[in-house]
Amino acid sequence: MIEYIAEMPSYTYAVKAEKVLKARGIRCEIKRRDEGCGYNLHVYNKTALAILNKSGIPYKLKGTEVQ
Amino acid sequence: MVINFDNSATTFPKPAYVKKAAASAMEKYGSSGRGGHYIAAETSKAVYSARETVADFFGAEPENVVFTLNCTHALNMAIQGIMNDGGHLIISGMEHNSSARPAAKLANDKKISLSVAPVYPEDKRTVDSFRHLIRSDTKAVVCTIASNVTGQIMPYQEIAELCRKNNICFIADGAQACGIINVKMSDGINILCTAGHKGLYGITGTGVLVSDGKYKIKPIIQGGTGNISQSLIQPDLLPESLESGTVGVIGIMSVKAGIEFVKNIGIDRIFAHEDRICRRFISELRKNKNVTVYRSPSAEYVPIVSFNIKGIKSETVAQILANQGYCLRAGFHCSALAHSQLGTDTGTVRFSPSVFSREADSVRLANAISRIEKK
Repeated sequence: MIEYIAEMPSYTYAVKAEKVLKARGIRCEIKRRDEGCGYNLHVYNKTALAILNKSGIPYKLKGTEVQ
Repeated sequence: MVINFDNSATTFPKPAYVKKAAASAMEKYGSSGRGGHYIAAETSKAVYSARETVADFFGAEPENVVFTLNCTHALNMAIQGIMNDGGHLIISGMEHNSSARPAAKLANDKKISLSVAPVYPEDKRTVDSFRHLIRSDTKAVVCTIASNVTGQIMPYQEIAELCRKNNICFIADGAQACGIINVKMSDGINILCTAGHKGLYGITGTGVLVSDGKYKIKPIIQGGTGNISQSLIQPDLLPESLESGTVGVIGIMSVKAGIEFVKNIGIDRIFAHEDRICRRFISELRKNKNVTVYRSPSAEYVPIVSFNIKGIKSETVAQILANQGYCLRAGFHCSALAHSQLGTDTGTVRFSPSVFSREADSVRLANAISRIEKK
């Protein structure tokens, strides 16, 4: 499974994204960034990213990890 | 006996539900939006939930809800943040100093040009006075939704529409209206500033700025926002861009609880209760020929009544009443412009009930006022 890491501009947007995805039954997790202050949203399919785009939630795709 | 009729300054007492929420927040929460540990995460979730409550109440998005120290703080951020590149600003002649002073400072420093729109009891005349002042470089209009001196409800939806047609940012001061009348961003408001401690029943030291996201508000305070910390440039995304430093979590949770309290009772019921008390109070006052009540039949009002007793200074009246346990505000109510319009050069005495006020107390107060008049 591929894990997509979306760098969120703020905690507020991280929670907003989490709520939008969870309302659609999509699993995701907010995690503190490894470096510097801030929060990442970890999602597990590309649909999640498409939903964030469609919802106008800003994020930067930081990378992917294979689990 | 202490009976508070100074609720337009701060509602007192607070609902038990709000007190409980504030006490609980003190037990449970730390800093919001900082750190990834348990306390930080729980606090951040709670603050986001409060943003959702405020957003739902005013018809906004949670990320466009900024928590401030009070309404003055919110208005300063809005006015200075929108007018930072100059331009023409119009404010109403009923503005509180929380709008009028930052506007005047910018004008005195020659950073903006400023016009003051006279306010009339008739809505159409008031809207026209704004319309006539609009110029090609008018960037923003600041207008209170209801005067903190007389309670007059401004034609804010019409003024908002005027702004929309002319691509002007409409900044509304909701301090005396929110929680009393059903203010929504969809009324045409671009930036709504309000207090948390008045009609929203939160604790003191709370305020809210709500944006519709259309106009960028340049921060007037820079600092830690909990994100992009490696950069020395202030982030420009709401709400954190305007929330430098640790936010007042206890106050924020009190505002959330206060809004829930208001929603639970219903704005219409709150207004009806307070309006009934005001009308009864006015009818009692008007039995005294030496009492002037500053209301016009042409205007509508939130539950605030300003009055004077002929030949007695407002401060003297309020002090006599305070000695009998009645809490009312006298003087200029930080609203020089409004008193200038009203011609009340020694101020007025202001009566403002809350959801906890009782009609019988307002009658007793009117009787006490009547006795002052007879002295």
